[in-house]
Amino acid sequence: MIFGKRIQRVCLGLIILSVAGTALAHHSFAVYDHTRTLNLKGTVTKWQWSNPHAYLDIDVRDSNGEVKHYTLEGTSINMLQRSGWRSNMIKAGDQVTAVAAPLLNGEPGGLLLEITLASGEKKELPVPAANTFKRNPEQD
Amino acid sequence: MDSKWACSRVPRIYWLIALIACAAGFVQVSARAQQSSAAVPDITGSWERARDASIPAQPQPPLKPQYLKEWQARLQALREANAKGQPIADRVVACLPDGMPGMMSGPFPMEILQSRGQVTIIQEAYTQVRRILHDRQQNAIDDVEPGYYGHSVGHWDGGTLIVDTVGIKENVTYQNVPHSKDMHIKERISPGPNGILRDEITIEDPSILEKPWTFTLGYRRMPDYQLLEYVCEDNREYADEKGVQQIRIPR
Repeated sequence: MIFGKRIQRVCLGLIILSVAGTALAHHSFAVYDHTRTLNLKGTVTKWQWSNPHAYLDIDVRDSNGEVKHYTLEGTSINMLQRSGWRSNMIKAGDQVTAVAAPLLNGEPGGLLLEITLASGEKKELPVPAANTFKRNPEQD
Repeated sequence: MDSKWACSRVPRIYWLIALIACAAGFVQVSARAQQSSAAVPDITGSWERARDASIPAQPQPPLKPQYLKEWQARLQALREANAKGQPIADRVVACLPDGMPGMMSGPFPMEILQSRGQVTIIQEAYTQVRRILHDRQQNAIDDVEPGYYGHSVGHWDGGTLIVDTVGIKENVTYQNVPHSKDMHIKERISPGPNGILRDEITIEDPSILEKPWTFTLGYRRMPDYQLLEYVCEDNREYADEKGVQQIRIPR
């Protein structure tokens, strides 16, 4: 069935093209490592409630007592609001634990995927294609 | 001259004919108005992009060979840059809106408002607004200053809003597909099956496309949803000297 196979190939091509088109139609998160996550426990220095992205700045103390500053990118605040977030859920001084996909370039930054708030409540962020980020928060 | 005198000079039969003609005209106009207003669907409200079996898959743009090659090379370059973890900075990094027709493609909700002589579409992302002006001639393209949303005219044909848009800047592209300043965006907006609102978009641009490019976008109602404000503000992403997307990390 050569004809059938050709049709299959054309269809597969179209599917790949349409998926590629969709993937490229949206803003890229390719700067972040999709294979591992950081588990960052620290103090919030700033929670920037803005579009196109929210930003969380936290100071994390390592085992030697040294403080390292991280910048974590969140999704659009409109997406956050639609999934139940409010700007006042996080404030400077809060002790939080963040799960983030780290920047591939080694800089102290990442994509915020999940956070445990000062209240102990755990919240996911509505990151598009969140399932493409492999979670292993124990690998700090 | 007194009007009574003037009237008395016009033979009665002419008055009768004029009266009948006026009455017939009035009946016809009001019937048409009733018919069109009865057929115009209520699409006012909030909508979000929806996939549905009634919406056909989007075909590849029928670009002329030289533009197709450039477009494919551009997509390949974007894919390779992403695979390297060094994405090419896009319009979001620069806080720029979609423009037309990208603003119709989501993923954020949009609001449609029907008012006398105009349909207004507000896209939540970047608070983008387009106005579709009813029952007027399209302007000559050279008379429309190029912009993100262009000049849109439309009319209701039964239950379908038929729209023509011109005047889109050449650097405002949809899915990286090139276009010329002569592009027309034709739309047929109508309620479809399964509660889905359809926007059948046809891009006409004979110097770039081999034939018109038609694709359909579908939307689902968001009952009680009110659009949120959206201002692009202090994005910490930026394009470096090579045009690669980076993020500012404070020290």
